[in-house]
Amino acid sequence: MRVELRHIFKSFPHNGSSLEVLHDINLTVAEGEFVCLVGPSGCGKSTIIHLVAGLERPTSGDILVGGRPVTGPDPSRTVVFQDAALFPWLNVLGNVEFGLRMAGLPPVRRRARALEYLKLVHLSRFTTAYPHQLSGGMKQRAAIARALALQPEILLLDEPFAALDAQTRAVLQNELMEIWELARPTILFVTHNVREATGLADRVYVISSRPGQIRDVQAIHVPRPRHAEDAALLAHQHKILELLGEEVEKVLQDELGERVHFPEAQHPVPPEQSRGMHS
Amino acid sequence: MRERPRISRWLKPVQALALLYLLWEATAFAFPAWPSPRTVFGALMDDFRQPVFRAALAGSAWRMLVGYTLVILVGISGGLLLGRVPLIDQIIGSFAVAIHAIPGAAWVPLSIIWFGMTERAVIFTILLGASGIVMVSTDTGIREVPPLVARAARTLGARGTKYFWFVVVPSAIPKIVDGLRLAWAFGWRALMAGELLTSVSGLGQLLSQVAKAGQLDQLLAIMLLIASIGIAVDGLVFKRLEHAVRVRWGLA
Repeated sequence: MRVELRHIFKSFPHNGSSLEVLHDINLTVAEGEFVCLVGPSGCGKSTIIHLVAGLERPTSGDILVGGRPVTGPDPSRTVVFQDAALFPWLNVLGNVEFGLRMAGLPPVRRRARALEYLKLVHLSRFTTAYPHQLSGGMKQRAAIARALALQPEILLLDEPFAALDAQTRAVLQNELMEIWELARPTILFVTHNVREATGLADRVYVISSRPGQIRDVQAIHVPRPRHAEDAALLAHQHKILELLGEEVEKVLQDELGERVHFPEAQHPVPPEQSRGMHS
Repeated sequence: MRERPRISRWLKPVQALALLYLLWEATAFAFPAWPSPRTVFGALMDDFRQPVFRAALAGSAWRMLVGYTLVILVGISGGLLLGRVPLIDQIIGSFAVAIHAIPGAAWVPLSIIWFGMTERAVIFTILLGASGIVMVSTDTGIREVPPLVARAARTLGARGTKYFWFVVVPSAIPKIVDGLRLAWAFGWRALMAGELLTSVSGLGQLLSQVAKAGQLDQLLAIMLLIASIGIAVDGLVFKRLEHAVRVRWGLA
């Protein structure tokens, strides 16, 4: 289903006055498209996810999903939150079954469906574990299975891998890619990690902060699976970092470990040369 | 290396108990009227051989069981109603807090007027002395659903009654367990006060009997037993329950 945000403004009350977090946001996600929003911390990216999820209302503007305005949360739009937000009193299976239970699915069917999605995220052996027994990566796997089990039209991901170590993040990025290619949900993925955004998305919206505004949209025409050192990707990353201008420093500090890769992005290998190297 | 923390875990309470024992022996040696630990433990052993004493102990245990079960039922359902129904909260919310502020012993006279010098009066004292804290903590718990949990639940289609029973109530469980633990201590005290002031046979009543007879060793023996039961149930049941809940809910 297509997602469309038209002239979205959002302000929050702040110390008696109002603080504008989103300023005239216009964006679309086509049916089955994978779109990333990238920007520094505090630029209102998460607010966009909350708006599309129906958890918050815009101050003005329209949010259309499949051509119809969003009036509240709906199981056809599920969210994967940064810290998983699993229910601590339910085990992994119980968490994945939760939405299906709310939807009134009979126990046998919801169990079968939950197990199917747990298999997809490679958690079949941990169905009886409780969230406090899981690592960060496993929690996110469970959260992804929980969001997918409802077979949503739209999957919203709010910095889902930001708290994970680099290796776990890379593995989960690949798996998310595989899942997306399998079921083709419409995906809106929020991150402050430029490398992650360019590696995953069909299109990347670049958002600047205070108030959040769209600076640019980059269409990434690099075939998947994508190679991290692909010259075209590096060129996109370079362009995005440049666009973020003085906010780059902040973005890089958040990414710490990735800082070493920055010089490569500054001097991208010409695309011709790169093709020769990787294919 | 692995043994050391375990030893030190036991060492401190053992040291404290040993010190206490020595102090007691010393004071008993200095003041002959004051019974020595050996006399008191001897009295306690004797007590356990008496059918009257065993009946009193069983009576107290039974009243506590009935009273505490009622506390759980009334406290939790009352707390859920307070948190869920604004009208009930407005009408009896402050009333519940007021009940909670009255110590268990202060309910005994009223219980006696209503139920006479009966077992029911004692159970009623436990109920009033301990259910307030469970109500208040349940009420607090269901009002404090973590925002992230609430958001996740809503995006997964939870609303209305299902949201209440599958999200609000389970997320309140740590608070409810806190309340139940306190209620055990309050209820145990209310039981003793109730038995002391009514003529229902139980540990509390034995206490007043031996005091009237001037049997200091018996008095200390029974007080020791009352304290031990209180501590044992708290440590063996409630501390463990509370810890297990806190670990699972990610609070420990």
